[in-house]
Amino acid sequence: MEGWLAPTELAGGFLQFLILGLVIGSLYALIALGYTMVYGIIELINFAHGDLFMLGAFFALGLAIWPMGVTTAEAPLPALVATVALMLLLTPLFCAIVNVSVDRVVYRPLRNSPKLTVIVSAIGVSFIFMNIGLLWRGATPVKFPDLISDANLLEGTGLRFTWKDLMVVAVTVPTMIALTLFVRYTRLGKAMRATAQNPVAAQLMGINVNRVIAVTFAIGGALAGVASVIYGLYIKAVDYQMGFQNGLYAFTAAVLGGVGNIPGAVLGGLTIGVVGELAKAYLGAKWSEAVIFGILIVVLLFRPTGLLGARTREKV
Amino acid sequence: MTAAVPSAASAELSPGVPQPATGDATSPATASPLLLVEDLEAGYGPINVLHRLSLTVYPGEIVAIIGANGAGKTTTLLAISGIVPARAGRIVFQGRDLTAEGIPPHEIVRLGLAHAPEGRKIFPRLTVRENLDMGAFTRNDPDGIAADLEKVFTLFPILRQRQQQPGGLLSGGEQQMLAIARALMARPKLLLLDEPSLGLAPQIVVHIFQVIRELNRQGVSVLLVEQNARMALKNAHRGYVLETGRITLSGTGQQLLHDPRVRAAYLGE
Repeated sequence: MEGWLAPTELAGGFLQFLILGLVIGSLYALIALGYTMVYGIIELINFAHGDLFMLGAFFALGLAIWPMGVTTAEAPLPALVATVALMLLLTPLFCAIVNVSVDRVVYRPLRNSPKLTVIVSAIGVSFIFMNIGLLWRGATPVKFPDLISDANLLEGTGLRFTWKDLMVVAVTVPTMIALTLFVRYTRLGKAMRATAQNPVAAQLMGINVNRVIAVTFAIGGALAGVASVIYGLYIKAVDYQMGFQNGLYAFTAAVLGGVGNIPGAVLGGLTIGVVGELAKAYLGAKWSEAVIFGILIVVLLFRPTGLLGARTREKV
Repeated sequence: MTAAVPSAASAELSPGVPQPATGDATSPATASPLLLVEDLEAGYGPINVLHRLSLTVYPGEIVAIIGANGAGKTTTLLAISGIVPARAGRIVFQGRDLTAEGIPPHEIVRLGLAHAPEGRKIFPRLTVRENLDMGAFTRNDPDGIAADLEKVFTLFPILRQRQQQPGGLLSGGEQQMLAIARALMARPKLLLLDEPSLGLAPQIVVHIFQVIRELNRQGVSVLLVEQNARMALKNAHRGYVLETGRITLSGTGQQLLHDPRVRAAYLGE
């Protein structure tokens, strides 16, 4: 019967799906960080965040084709490295600028409005972004250049871990570590946490709260930009609706981990990645979403503040 | 809790503390005021809380505003630090018109005006040390900051022991000490204190006021609001009585302490 494996195969399979889940999950985590940081500082669920991620992927797509004309992994190595480096540099910058501009133009004038007003505005921005995406690249999925090799790094072990998988880990893990160190130890990072915990007291300390919020949008946007490049290179296809589904998963990750909590977003992302892959493998792809959101509901029933929400409760 | 500052053990004003230029609080003084508030109106939404409120703080003074709950004490301080916008009147600090120049709150701190707000507003998930770092946010003189850190640890030794604990886990008294210490880290010329005695045990209140007087001896001017009128007036050079957003009485601390109206309304006599 399909799906029934011998015990050894089953163990190997489990490990394989675990690896895959962690790789996908670290991608969700990167996007989730953007949700959680903005929520932490202004208690806004930024529904446009997923669509910003989509715009980032479209921007990165342009970078791959336009300056270098590099579209396959067979291109010369220096050109490949330069193209990927350019994407990883300019896409986060693009997303950061877009995110900061949206805050400045849309959210900042609403800073003292009821929370619901701001959230509805975020939904509006989400639709605007999606339609910009639709105009930009059309309604059908676009092939993203396949620049990273699919060669297996664990050849002979029965497991599969490709250069692509390595790329995801090699970009997301240092990014998340850098973010954690930044928020924990730098002057600006401490100012972000202070602003999240008490904006009035932060102002009394001489912190320019609007600037700190702008920096938060910049960082959140940049993380979405990094995630969009990784996603494009990994999945090899992008479309104007990719922000919705991935944004929903990432948002779920943020809530699962405890929204506003940085380690929580990472844990939530990895959990959703692993659970999703395991569900796909053992229950079938159609069950994966049901299991993910089922787990979300169960976790929230017993820990309404999310996995890490109550214990550390580190907003931002 | 033992007193950290033996030199400030006396509850009476010590000689040598700078006095206002004249004994009468309402008459113009020869020294130029550190803080001048004139005909200030401020409030929330459609409600005006302060009605043409005027007060002054001269360099070297401790000035107390006493009044009942809801009189507008906190709003007065929030308006001075720019958190609640002034709707009319002016606030002049060290000769600079904060209202006319439209200086935002985070810039006001840089001018030398620090505020330990109502309810302390400690950053609960930052450590004590990080809270103090935030107090020095406007500064970039590491040596001066280190010296001031040492100074606040001398004033409040308990904070040195608690350095690595989250601010939210401190007791009420410790949080009040942290709030004052955090404000001091900005090295202010004028310190605004909102209800420093609120919810604290009597001996801790005594300690807090000893520290306030010690700071004042070191040259920090203080504007404090208090419901604990006796403690505030005992320790202040001058005081104002605030009733429903209006100043109804002013005078030296001693004058107000002995004023029959104050005694009846605020000292429970």
